[in-house]
Amino acid sequence: MLRRILAITRKEIIHIIRDPRSLSIMFMMPVIQLILLGYTATTDVEHLSTAVLEQDQSLQSRELVDAYRASNYFDVRFYVSSEGELGRLIDAGEAKAGIIIPAGYGRDLTGDHEASIAFVIDGSIPSVAATAFSAAQTVAQAQSMVLIERLYGIDVEQQAGIDVRPRVWYNPDMKSANFMIPGLIAMILQIQSTLFTALSIAREKEEGTIEQLIVTPLRSIELIVGKVMPYVAVSLFNLVEVLIIGVLWFGIPIQGSVLLLLALGVLALLSSLGIGLLASTIAHTQQEAIFLIFFLMLPFMFLSGFFFPLEAMPRVLQLISYLIPLRYLLVIVRGIILKGAGLSILWEQVLALLLFASAILALAASRFRKRL
Amino acid sequence: MSSRIIYVIYKEVIHIVRDPRTLAVMFLIPIMQLMLLGYAMTTDVDHIPTVVLDQDLTSQSRDLIKAYQASNYFDVSHYAATEEELRRLIDKGSARTGLIIPYGYGHDLEKHQSAQVSFVIDGSDPTVARTAFAAAQTVAQAKSIQLAGEKIGLTLETLPGVSVHPRVWYNPNMKSINFMIPGLTALILQFLTTLFTSLSIVREREQGTIEQLMVTPIRPPELILGKVLPYVAIAFFDLAEILIIGVFWFGVPIRGSVPLLLAISTLFLLTTLGLGILISTIARTQQEAMYLSFFTLLPSMFLAGFLFPVEAMPTALQVISYVIPLRYMLTVASGIILKGVGLRILWPEVLAIAIFGVVIFGAAVRRFRKQLE
Repeated sequence: MLRRILAITRKEIIHIIRDPRSLSIMFMMPVIQLILLGYTATTDVEHLSTAVLEQDQSLQSRELVDAYRASNYFDVRFYVSSEGELGRLIDAGEAKAGIIIPAGYGRDLTGDHEASIAFVIDGSIPSVAATAFSAAQTVAQAQSMVLIERLYGIDVEQQAGIDVRPRVWYNPDMKSANFMIPGLIAMILQIQSTLFTALSIAREKEEGTIEQLIVTPLRSIELIVGKVMPYVAVSLFNLVEVLIIGVLWFGIPIQGSVLLLLALGVLALLSSLGIGLLASTIAHTQQEAIFLIFFLMLPFMFLSGFFFPLEAMPRVLQLISYLIPLRYLLVIVRGIILKGAGLSILWEQVLALLLFASAILALAASRFRKRL
Repeated sequence: MSSRIIYVIYKEVIHIVRDPRTLAVMFLIPIMQLMLLGYAMTTDVDHIPTVVLDQDLTSQSRDLIKAYQASNYFDVSHYAATEEELRRLIDKGSARTGLIIPYGYGHDLEKHQSAQVSFVIDGSDPTVARTAFAAAQTVAQAKSIQLAGEKIGLTLETLPGVSVHPRVWYNPNMKSINFMIPGLTALILQFLTTLFTSLSIVREREQGTIEQLMVTPIRPPELILGKVLPYVAIAFFDLAEILIIGVFWFGVPIRGSVPLLLAISTLFLLTTLGLGILISTIARTQQEAMYLSFFTLLPSMFLAGFLFPVEAMPTALQVISYVIPLRYMLTVASGIILKGVGLRILWPEVLAIAIFGVVIFGAAVRRFRKQLE
């Protein structure tokens, strides 16, 4: 049995090596994804280009503009003299935020009143807008504290203040790369191997060579194992590649056990191979296989918590996410790498992944055998 | 000339129709993307599950917990009795943040001293962590101001202060779907046309049928046009699909001119079709063509600001993003759909799209023709 499997594996390796371009793409793809995600996947916006319309021109209004400027969130790049001008700058995208301090602002403040300002935010990118929104209010709140101190002589922070000491665990600098790279590892384990498996079997079908394999004494299980082995190797290689670049280039600390990560990685690969095999029993051509996988990839990416936190999604989508193995894998990989979690904490996720992998593999193998 | 093009189109349409599954996928992909992005993409973080460790157990500490709960940012989902329990809940991911109010908190506040609390944040998801970080401090600050006011007999309303009236333009509720729809229209145009053009040409080459086409009187430009036009039609159909679902299902307002959007999209297609043809001259197999298409699509998606704002990227990547045509198309699409602006403001982007189109399409056609000869 082992000899027959190895023969198939050899045949598949020859196929892979004969196409050196696809091979190099297989190895390059994770690196490119790593660099793109490592550097671009951040919603942390600072130094927003800001326009100021100061209709008050008082000491107090200048003080407020200074406070906004000092906050790091806003870069005051334009001083405008009318609302129309401010609107044009924001329309053109040159400014993302606008501060309008109306006439009478300074007088209101010295007269013990509450003074209002308007804060215009370009809402077209919601994540940027949300940051600007809360920053605008935080700065104003701090400014109010300064005013209270000046008027009543109460130092709010010293005399009545609640001093919050934030401690950020696992990722103290809140670096996006630390979040995205473990996610990418899970993604590679899941998507890439699924695609490889589905394509390699669909190719044999499209070219009609699968019939030749069937008339040999090979059993279908040997055929499957032999064909997917090289891709398991490529995926594991990619996993190590991403880990090494992640640690050495992006400085990701690996808190947990690398061995556990690799072991659970193999478990995850089983589920991906099952999905790939299932797709290959459905697709007739390579093109169909590509689209099927792509079709699967979308919900995988968006409903697993890879990009966006699951908690923020509607209930129905949260329920659907339980059917997506990547969901469990993400918790496992991020747990091991960032939190240093072990099996005692992750066992539920591991169990879910194990159940999923066995179910999908059994289904795929039975469908595959029937097809042959 | 035109009748020969029509024959090539006819032939390509037969190919497409013969594969009804792929055809169905072409029409379903935009719907699926819309539904997923429309419902799953929320970067606004609220109701973060929070575990509270209240060692003080005074009315002041309960007051603070209430203030956090009322802020909408935090949902007190667990109460822990020890620090270990709190740690375990955060390790497991059952809670994302933890509030620790130490013994003596209420006492300190009564004596008009500054009182300390600890706020633990799971930093693994930076988007959530940053929001939690800022909100934790804002809530405490507001509470401090209120306490200071009480001390001098003033309520929050009568205290002097700066009140901010935010006006969020273009997308007042900051809904993610309003941001995604313009992006999706641009992305779908690029994805479909580049991938399908390259696949359909490479398939002819892989199967050797391209030689048969060459011995006919069809000239290379006619062949190219005939082959890509059906995909252009599908791309526009998908574009309309996205806009219609966006407007009627998700209620996205289209503020600008739809004809202008379609016109600039057509201009953008020059670039994406050019890329597809260029890929088909490089790739020898369908698999290679697919990889190369993804290779151009991935950086486009990430660097053009489709998912993450360009402003937040390192400067080097921001510079690179200027040579990504999708970047300009995104600005145009969101400018027209969300802001309702016209050519007067968008002309630099349109100019960039035109230049890319002419250069890339020109290079692609030249390479394609050379290869046929």
